[in-house]
Amino acid sequence: VSVEQHEIHEQSVGAYLLGALSDVERHAFEGHAEECHVCRDELERLRPAADALPRSVTPVRPPPSLKSSLMETVESEAREAGGRAGSRTGRALGSVSSRVAAFGRSLAPRRALVWAGASVALLVGALGGYAGTQLSDGGSRTLAARFDSDRVAGASGSLVVPEDSKAGATLRVHGMPSLPPHETYQVWLRRGGETIPKALFGVGEDGNGLTAVDGDLAGADAVLVTREPMGGARSPSGKPILQVSL
Amino acid sequence: LKRNDEIQTLADEEVMTLVQEGNPRAFELLFDRHGGAAFSLAYRMVGNRVTAEDISQEAFLSIWRSRLRYQPARGSVRTWVLGIVHHRAIDALRRNLVHERRRASAEGIEDRHEAAELTDVEAARREEARTIRTALESLPQDQCRVIELAYFGGFSHSQIADMLEMPMGTVKGRMRLGLEKLRKELEVEIA
Repeated sequence: VSVEQHEIHEQSVGAYLLGALSDVERHAFEGHAEECHVCRDELERLRPAADALPRSVTPVRPPPSLKSSLMETVESEAREAGGRAGSRTGRALGSVSSRVAAFGRSLAPRRALVWAGASVALLVGALGGYAGTQLSDGGSRTLAARFDSDRVAGASGSLVVPEDSKAGATLRVHGMPSLPPHETYQVWLRRGGETIPKALFGVGEDGNGLTAVDGDLAGADAVLVTREPMGGARSPSGKPILQVSL
Repeated sequence: LKRNDEIQTLADEEVMTLVQEGNPRAFELLFDRHGGAAFSLAYRMVGNRVTAEDISQEAFLSIWRSRLRYQPARGSVRTWVLGIVHHRAIDALRRNLVHERRRASAEGIEDRHEAAELTDVEAARREEARTIRTALESLPQDQCRVIELAYFGGFSHSQIADMLEMPMGTVKGRMRLGLEKLRKELEVEIA
C-alpha cells in the first residue's frame, strides 16, 4: 500500500465505523483496509466504541405486531423449506456440541493450570440459587451455566461434557465483563467438599470466552468460575459468578 | 425439558447455529432477545414508531434470509443484529423515506414509551445505556455532535460538513477523535 493511498484513507476510519461514508467511499475504504494492516488495526481498536453506540439507546418495547408479522413470514418460509422446528433441533445441538468441544480441545494445552491436583475447601452455602439445564445428543452433554445476575447481568454460557467424562469438558461464555489487566477468570471443579483449581481464562472485548476444563470429571458435582488476581488462586477468593451443576 | 425450553437456555451463538439450520423457534428466541434493542435503535434514528417497525421487520427478515452469512469470529450476535438494523435505518433515511423525523434527544422521545415494569435484563440494559450515554456526553461537544449526526442521524460526513460549515477533513478527524475518546471512557467504565 502506498503512503499516498494510506493517507487518503486513514482519516476515514471513524466515518466508516459510524456509517458516514457514501457507498463508493465505503467500498474504496474496504478495498484499502484489506491490504493495509495499519487501517485494519485502527478499525479493530476503535470498533468497540462504535459498537457501543446502539447500546446507548434506552430500550423500548416494540409493538406486538412486529413479532407476530415477522414470525408469520418466517414460519411460512421455514415450512416451505421443510425446516420445521424440532425435527432438526437435536441434530443442530449435536453440531454445536461437537464444534465447541473440538475448539476447546485445541485450546486445552494452552489453558492447563500449573496447580493441577491441588484442592481446597469452599463454603458450599454461598452457592445457593444456581442450577444447570442439560441437553443431550446421545454422546456429549451440553449443560447451561447459571450466572450471579447481580454481577454479570445478561451473560450466558454452556459446558460441553463429552461422553467420556475423563476427557474433561469445554466451557464457553458470552457477555462476560472484560477484566482489568491484573485480574483473570478462574475455573474450579467441585467434588464433594473439595474445590480443585483449574484453568485461567479471559474474555475478549465482545465478552466471549472459551476454556478447557481438563481432568476427570467423574464424581464432580459442579464447575465454577470466580474472578481472581492475575495468576490465579489456590482457593476461590469469593462467591462464584458462574456455576454449572454436573 | 421440552425442546423449546432447552433452546431458551442456549447462548446467542448457539441459538444462531439453530437459526442457520432453519429453526423458526430459535429465530423467535433471537427476536425476543434482540428485537427490543433493534426497534429502539431504529426508533432513535427515525423518530417514528411505524417506520421503526418497518425497519426492524426488514432487518430481521434480512437476518433470517441471510442467516448463513453470520460468522461468530466477527463479533457477537447482538452487534451483528444491531449493525444490520443500523444499515437499514441509514438506507431509509438516505432514501428520504422519513421526512418528518424527530431530531430531539433520545430521552425526550423514548421516555413516553418506556415500559412501566422492567425485567432484570431490561433494567440491566437500561443501566448499560445510561453508562454509555454518559461516556458519550463527556466527549467534547464538537466530537459528540458529529458522532450523533452520523450514527443516529444517518448523515454522511459530507452532509455534516455542509451542515456545520466546516471542511470534510475536520469532520472525519472529529469522528475519529471522538471514537478514540469514547473507547477510553468506556474502558474506564468497564474497569
